[in-house]
Amino acid sequence: MGKARRDMWDYLQQQRQDIAFNTYQHLLIVVQAVTLATLLAIAVAVLVTRVRRLEPFANTFSAIGLTLPSFALVGLCLPIFGIKPYTAFTVVTFFAILPVLRNAVVAFDGVDKTLVESARGMGMGPARVLLRVQLPLAWPVVLAGVRTSTQMSMGVAAIAAIALGPGLGTYIYSGLAQYGGANALNSALVGTVGVVLLALAVDAVLVLVGRLTISKGIRA
Amino acid sequence: MTALDAEREPTTATAPAAGPVGRAGGNGRRVSREQLVLLVTIPALVAVVLGGWVAWRLTAELDAVEARQLAWGAIWRLTREHVLISVVTTLVVLVIALPLGVALTRKPLRRAAPLVVGIANAGQAAPAIGLIVLFAIWLGFGFTTGVVALTLYGLLPVLRNTIVGLEGVDATLVEAGRGMGMSAAAVLFRVELPLAAPVIMAGVRTALVLVVGTATFATFIDAGGLGALIQTGITLYRTSIVVSGALLVASLALLIDWLGRILESVVRPKGV
Amino acid sequence: MSTSEVSGDVSGEVSGVEIELVDVVKRYPGQERAAVEGLNLTIPAGETVMFVGPSGCGKTTSLKMINRLIEPTSGTITIGGKDVRRQDADELRRGIGYVIQGGSLFPHMTVAANIALVPKMLGWSSARVEERVDELLDLVSLDAGQYRDRYPRELSGGQQQRVGVARGLAADPPVILMDEPFGAVDPITRQRLQDELMSIQAELRKTIVCVTHDIDEAVKLGDRILILREGAHVAQYDTPENILAAPANRFVEDFVGAGSALKQLTLTRVSEVEMRPTTTAVVGEPSAEVLRRAEQAGDTAVVVLDERRRPRDWVWLRDIADHDRVPPPRTEEILGVDRRATLNDALDDMLTSSHGGAIVTGQREEYLGVVDFAAVTAQIQRQTEQAEAATR
Repeated sequence: MGKARRDMWDYLQQQRQDIAFNTYQHLLIVVQAVTLATLLAIAVAVLVTRVRRLEPFANTFSAIGLTLPSFALVGLCLPIFGIKPYTAFTVVTFFAILPVLRNAVVAFDGVDKTLVESARGMGMGPARVLLRVQLPLAWPVVLAGVRTSTQMSMGVAAIAAIALGPGLGTYIYSGLAQYGGANALNSALVGTVGVVLLALAVDAVLVLVGRLTISKGIRA
Repeated sequence: MTALDAEREPTTATAPAAGPVGRAGGNGRRVSREQLVLLVTIPALVAVVLGGWVAWRLTAELDAVEARQLAWGAIWRLTREHVLISVVTTLVVLVIALPLGVALTRKPLRRAAPLVVGIANAGQAAPAIGLIVLFAIWLGFGFTTGVVALTLYGLLPVLRNTIVGLEGVDATLVEAGRGMGMSAAAVLFRVELPLAAPVIMAGVRTALVLVVGTATFATFIDAGGLGALIQTGITLYRTSIVVSGALLVASLALLIDWLGRILESVVRPKGV
Repeated sequence: MSTSEVSGDVSGEVSGVEIELVDVVKRYPGQERAAVEGLNLTIPAGETVMFVGPSGCGKTTSLKMINRLIEPTSGTITIGGKDVRRQDADELRRGIGYVIQGGSLFPHMTVAANIALVPKMLGWSSARVEERVDELLDLVSLDAGQYRDRYPRELSGGQQQRVGVARGLAADPPVILMDEPFGAVDPITRQRLQDELMSIQAELRKTIVCVTHDIDEAVKLGDRILILREGAHVAQYDTPENILAAPANRFVEDFVGAGSALKQLTLTRVSEVEMRPTTTAVVGEPSAEVLRRAEQAGDTAVVVLDERRRPRDWVWLRDIADHDRVPPPRTEEILGVDRRATLNDALDDMLTSSHGGAIVTGQREEYLGVVDFAAVTAQIQRQTEQAEAATR
């Protein structure tokens, strides 16, 4: 055990810069994908609240989407996009949309209709109603979706690393490739534990974002 | 890892934050309508996808590599393996998670429930592929390792829903049962579990779909399954094989999800 | 009695404008009958007009067409002579106060932010907005320092509704539309809110259009009442007195109810009853002095006033005698009924008080005096005799 720990320590020392770089890349792809996904999901949710008939489609899309194995989607995207960085990005974004979409539809649906009418009655235009009333009221639930989505995207990004690194997923795959070799365990541990730690750190940041962006008047 | 573990997250995350955005009222009806749409859409989608694929497979000119990988026998074997590891894993999950969930809602252990769920939650943050590789390094390649790693992954949804479902049973009903002279075990089996069944079943379905998706990685550690097609396709650079694998796995996951939804509506006690 | 007499001595300048509806029709696609089948109506400047009628009669639809939350199918609506359809809908609405049930406050904004919304959209300077918020909170009897930064969920239902009224008045619009404004609060709170609204209206003289299903509320608040039947057909449009005294048809008769003698209780205002002064005290005053004054006046209880002369407590002499100085009020509430309140309200208040009477308040809830049960019964007696004399 002592030896293993020393090995691990040496490995971390050696790979320090490389690990830092891949962690950063992992973070980057997740943050970008979730940000894009959140914007898309909110746009769709707003559309759904305007055009009721679309709601079953949105819900069916997220329910079916969440059933798809991420590895299968990587497989489907590879021939379309090729082994390129944005293949991974596309896959991560696709999955990242689903939880946010699901929550955003529920959240926008749940905004009290009389409040919206009240806002209109005070002379707010549709854009202002959206930004000042609907979005702030839906935000806690949307943000809960963003947290789920981020956590999930951390794992999807690790899987998508097979399509093309970089990111912490590469350590898992290289751990597998070096199976039986000296650094297999170190590599796989760095990849797996790294993703967990990164996920926890980003989640903590999102909790903070919630404290800062959710009005005290509606905080649970 | 499949995206599915997220499915119940939003709902749990919703409940406390909801406040003004309540999910009360006509919600039940809406969900059931959504369920109905899914019960029709999913098999239709699967039929189209599988039908299209079979048509392609029958008409396409395959080269030697493709012909070997996509032979009907090979596909059938991989599908059987995939289903087998998923079913075995789910059974193991049930055997562990159900009694554990029941135990954690009984008096002596009730206080430990949040802790256990918390640990399970944190474990869920680990990427499935990482867990599988780590277990393989520890236990070696093979079916058993695959089941162990996947079990760890499918445990949380069932455990959590069992606890949530049982805690959701109206305490006065339990009291009424005891008041009528039913034993604790009788109350558990005749009152609590039947009433909690829909919630538990939802967890089981979530776990099933999660496990089917995650089982695509089983091939990495020689535990079989349809993931092999995707992996081989990528290494051999054969698009047709990758896409075939992806379509088959996706269809399988959707079918399992559909079966789960049907089961869910069957176990829902009448009058609830 | 006439309504102008009731709004009385302190009434301000008329700041409202006239609203006119001409042949207004609202037809929803796919519905056989129009929701509003040609409504013609003039709402005089500075008056309060109550829209009442059975549910589905089109009263809310008619109201919402005034600020174009619902667009009329045909017809013209003018406010102060200007056609509402010639203006940008959002601009139009910023110039019309809108108050709906429960106040409909935005839960994610503070009380101040809620009230400030329209002034801010109109581009007022923040200093002016801030000043206005405090002024309005004061107007609706909420302490600005205490409530400005609270969130709606930290307020009681009545307080939320008060803020809703303040928000509707924020940009000082000439016209206020109200949709069941006090429907979501308990009867006691509702009565207080109605009193306050009457007091505010006496000061501001806006044009108020208010939808209600409660005929008592309509009689109490309205200068005029518009009774609608299905399709927004006017069954009667007149003052409360005339409607009660001479219902135009069976429909109105059924709607206002048969108990017209009891209805007089809703029609008669507290200010018409003989009021008597009683001993008052302020918190912290030496008890001995208060007791002396009270004994001189022959009172057994004293009304405790705050620094703004609002009644805060009504205490028996023996309870004061237990303390060296007059103790602080037992609740945060302001007591009493407004002098524009109805006898009905006053009787309610008496039933819940242990003093067999009700404190009467005037402008900004200042203490005026006390009416007791005997005075109220005497008034009813007198009115009944007059009514009998008239029919004879």
